[in-house]
Amino acid sequence: MDDSRTARLLEIVLRCYPAGWRRRHGDEAAELAALLIRDGTPAGSIAWSYLAGAAREWLTPRGGRRLGTAACALLVAACSLGLSAGLLASAGPARAAITSQGSAAPAASAKASTSRARTQCRPGTPARVPGVIAAVSRPQVIIWEAGHGRSC
Amino acid sequence: MAVGTRGGRAGQDVLRRVGEASVLVLISLADGPKHGYALIQDIKELAGVELGPGTLYGSLDRLERLGLIESLPAEDRRHPYRITAPGAAALRVHLDAVERVSAAGRLRLQLGGI
Repeated sequence: MDDSRTARLLEIVLRCYPAGWRRRHGDEAAELAALLIRDGTPAGSIAWSYLAGAAREWLTPRGGRRLGTAACALLVAACSLGLSAGLLASAGPARAAITSQGSAAPAASAKASTSRARTQCRPGTPARVPGVIAAVSRPQVIIWEAGHGRSC
Repeated sequence: MAVGTRGGRAGQDVLRRVGEASVLVLISLADGPKHGYALIQDIKELAGVELGPGTLYGSLDRLERLGLIESLPAEDRRHPYRITAPGAAALRVHLDAVERVSAAGRLRLQLGGI
């Protein structure tokens, strides 16, 4: 590798470090690389070492700030997704039950009978399901589907 | 987190978790201040280990954050580093611990007759 390409490679690799690090060590790091190359160390291995160092520098938490923020953001996103999925899962059967209960129209009745064939709803006292709070002032319907009782 | 404030009680081996490169850097700085290139050369002679420059700067930053070394005013573009008093104390504690383990290992080899 010729000198200009080596210099360019090292310049690119050193740019991978955070700005604060470059301000502090940038010049010295470039000079150190030049000295090591002069001593016979392969430029590729120096570049690799700086690249690994840059990755470590970005990943190392500074007072728990960067990783902490990222972890919090991920946690919030995961919680929101979980909550949405949970709400959708619990709202789906409830909607189906309401439709099948209040079916006065013949078309709806036909649909409801098909629905009943698959899902049997009957009024009653809901079985306690962990994590589900029973709705107040709403008709209680238990859906028996595939052997799982749910209150809606 | 600097030694002497949090996690740096006297007698505790704070260097146990900083990695071999950082310990070698501290040992190299024990006889006087050095800059990056001199550290790499010295560690190569001392331990036969060729520290990559990326590893070296990582160790220097870590040790400085822990208060075990400090950087001196730059000479030209080079920053010399110097071991601090807590750094020297931490190095002593670590070397004592290593010596104890080493002695125990030798004794066991002797007892085992291997």
